[in-house]
Amino acid sequence: MSIATGRAAGPSTSQAASRASGILGRVIAHRTDYLYVLPALIVMLVVIAFPIYYTIELSFFRTPPNLQMRDKIWTGLDNYVTVLRSPVFHEVTINTIIWTVASTLVAFLLGLGAALSLHREFVGRGVMRALLLIPYVVSAVAASYVWKWLYHSDFGVIGAIAVQLGLTSEPINFLDNRQTVLASLIVVNIWKEFSFAMVMLMAGLQTVPEQLLRAAQVDGASAWNRFWHVTFPHLRGVSMVTVLLLMVANFNSFIIPFVMTGGGPADASHIWITHIYQLAFGRQQWGVASAYAVILFIVMMTLGYFYVKALTRGDENRAGG
Amino acid sequence: MTNSQGRAPRPARSTRRQAAGRAVAALVIASLLSSTAYAQSVDLSQWSPEYIRSIAGTEEFDTAGHCASVVPLDYEGRLTYWWTGPTEASPQIEHQINEEFWAAWAETYPNIETDAQNIDYNQLLDRLRTTLLGNAGPMVVRLQILGGVEFASKGYFQELAPEDIGYPTADFWPGAMKSVTWQGTTYGVPTNNETMALIWNADIFERAGLDPESPPATWDDLVAYSKQIHDELGISGYGLVARQNAGNTPFRFMPQLWAYGGGALDEAEENPTYETVQLNSEGAVAALQAAYDMYVRDKSVPTSALTNTQNENQAPFIAGQLAMMIAHPSEYAKMVDLAGLATGADKEIADTVVENMRYGLIPEGPERRAVVFGGSNMHFVQPDYVEGGFDEQAAKAFACFWNSPEWSTKLAWTGSNPGNLAGFKTQWMKERLDTIKFLDVTTSMLPSGIPFPVIPEATEIMNIIVPDMLQNALTERMSVEEAAADAAAKVESLLGGGL
Repeated sequence: MSIATGRAAGPSTSQAASRASGILGRVIAHRTDYLYVLPALIVMLVVIAFPIYYTIELSFFRTPPNLQMRDKIWTGLDNYVTVLRSPVFHEVTINTIIWTVASTLVAFLLGLGAALSLHREFVGRGVMRALLLIPYVVSAVAASYVWKWLYHSDFGVIGAIAVQLGLTSEPINFLDNRQTVLASLIVVNIWKEFSFAMVMLMAGLQTVPEQLLRAAQVDGASAWNRFWHVTFPHLRGVSMVTVLLLMVANFNSFIIPFVMTGGGPADASHIWITHIYQLAFGRQQWGVASAYAVILFIVMMTLGYFYVKALTRGDENRAGG
Repeated sequence: MTNSQGRAPRPARSTRRQAAGRAVAALVIASLLSSTAYAQSVDLSQWSPEYIRSIAGTEEFDTAGHCASVVPLDYEGRLTYWWTGPTEASPQIEHQINEEFWAAWAETYPNIETDAQNIDYNQLLDRLRTTLLGNAGPMVVRLQILGGVEFASKGYFQELAPEDIGYPTADFWPGAMKSVTWQGTTYGVPTNNETMALIWNADIFERAGLDPESPPATWDDLVAYSKQIHDELGISGYGLVARQNAGNTPFRFMPQLWAYGGGALDEAEENPTYETVQLNSEGAVAALQAAYDMYVRDKSVPTSALTNTQNENQAPFIAGQLAMMIAHPSEYAKMVDLAGLATGADKEIADTVVENMRYGLIPEGPERRAVVFGGSNMHFVQPDYVEGGFDEQAAKAFACFWNSPEWSTKLAWTGSNPGNLAGFKTQWMKERLDTIKFLDVTTSMLPSGIPFPVIPEATEIMNIIVPDMLQNALTERMSVEEAAADAAAKVESLLGGGL
């Protein structure tokens, strides 16, 4: 057994050693290239690595409102326990999941529909494409204020139209109601994001071979079958990237809920980022907010891993082949 | 300078007035020291609208001459200053006075290069906290009355008393001085102090079958009036404000809470200790119940109250869709401005509203009549936390100039009152009383003013916990009693060092 183990370990260790020397060798061989990227690396370390390190450090301290940051009190993992045990954390996490999943899926599906529609030639296609891109280019803050007034519970345009059409007897309460506020914000977010998905998928549609679609049509495949068996497989890569990017953006959303409701009423529209902001800047609970941020960071890194995997899948396949 | 959020570098040119300033200074200092500096300018025990009118315009002040005794007018230096100045929602006259102030400052101290930033009310505290962490704060900052103690307790502010800039402490409201005092040390100078009043639309009252000239005497009356207006006319009666993390909410709800006998802590008592939590007291629950009755039971206040700040009440008020609200004397000037901008049928409605606008005392409750003792204070940041170093002489010159009887009065023109009580004796105070409608009503509320608790946790209690309590009750996430108990538990925990 030990011999077998020894035999098995021998090549593995030598492979690891040769791999390490190989990496080092390649670094040395490409030292000039590393010099070129050094300034960028230093900037990255200052603006990304240090804040990450400081946030992690801060998450182990308590920061009472009467103490300066340098006088913070060591509490170990208490902040993580506080966050994970907090009922508000559970509510906010559920809100964040609903916000992210609903926004991502609907924005993706609407974007896909819009991309497929705009892929065909028709009169006014350019104008339509420009119009559909407007939500994406409008400032999120400006859009939030406009939507806030559209939704306004007393004087909103949408509520007034609903009353005039006889759909409701009084203006609809979109934003001042715990049951409707999150859905109302998700609609705004989808409106803002679907054109991003549309642009990505329109680019992806350019890669679908026209002759395959024609061949399928000649063979009598229905429109649905042509989409499902020819178009969609070619969109799989770009779809994966689009969905992941949308998910990351939605996990990190701040502007729309912050400007439109500030997380209210009664925390009903708080998502992770707005809640972290309130803990840090509203309540100066920097330690707890940092613990919260570290948890979010872990989630984001996990998503980031899948994003990179999706992006590099083709490269790995080629390297493996 | 007039743009909010704007930076305004001041020219550093040496020009004039220096010689004259020095010559006049000696004479003026002597007279100021004998008549003003070491004697209380006004008799607070006589405070009444009649007394205020009787002293207005009885004394003259030479601002430049006085400040020359603190810092020579030819001093060369640099100043950075943050404050919340006029915004889009401010009446035009406030923008005009703001411009006049900066012009006068540049003329009086031409060699002090000034970088002043006008920062939004709801952003200033966050921004200051962040920049102080990075040792990039301004030299001088003016904060809302509630904001300073947090920074003083953390050691960010320098000791600063009115005497340091040439004015006696006796010339400031005792309540205002309390708000700049932390553990027995003074960390600032009150720049302005105000109390709000109840505003109502007499025309709406009449149409709803109420006496158009009589505001609700008690908070119970206000709840009943609000319901009657809503039932009769289908519009909102009272402009409730309950947005989270916004100062407007406690400024309107705490007077109600105090009137019913409640409190966040014991700040409404004669000698508060700030150790007893009273958010779950009988009085606090009664006040919360009254707010619940208006929002949930009667639906007589704007549905949007949960996302509204006071600014969002202005449009429905000028459109005749809101009957009552609590606001500053500047609200009248704002409504006149808005009416001036209206056209066609809107203009007719707006003019009717302005004509029927009335100011009255904030209603009484079973325990007392109360109002938030509001205002702002000026502070000097500790040199270690100032970007580019602290220029003591420039900061003192500026604080002297801003807090002079002249500018303390002018800068508070429509929205507040001079922090320096000597301002009440100036010609400008007389002009204010002659030209600003209802100023005497809001000024009469000053003796009913209660300052927020002077503890570092005050901002979180008032801006987060109190609005959360309201939202929890008004959305029926919790019962009224549960919401009050939840808020009290949060304050207990916060004071005990927890979350």
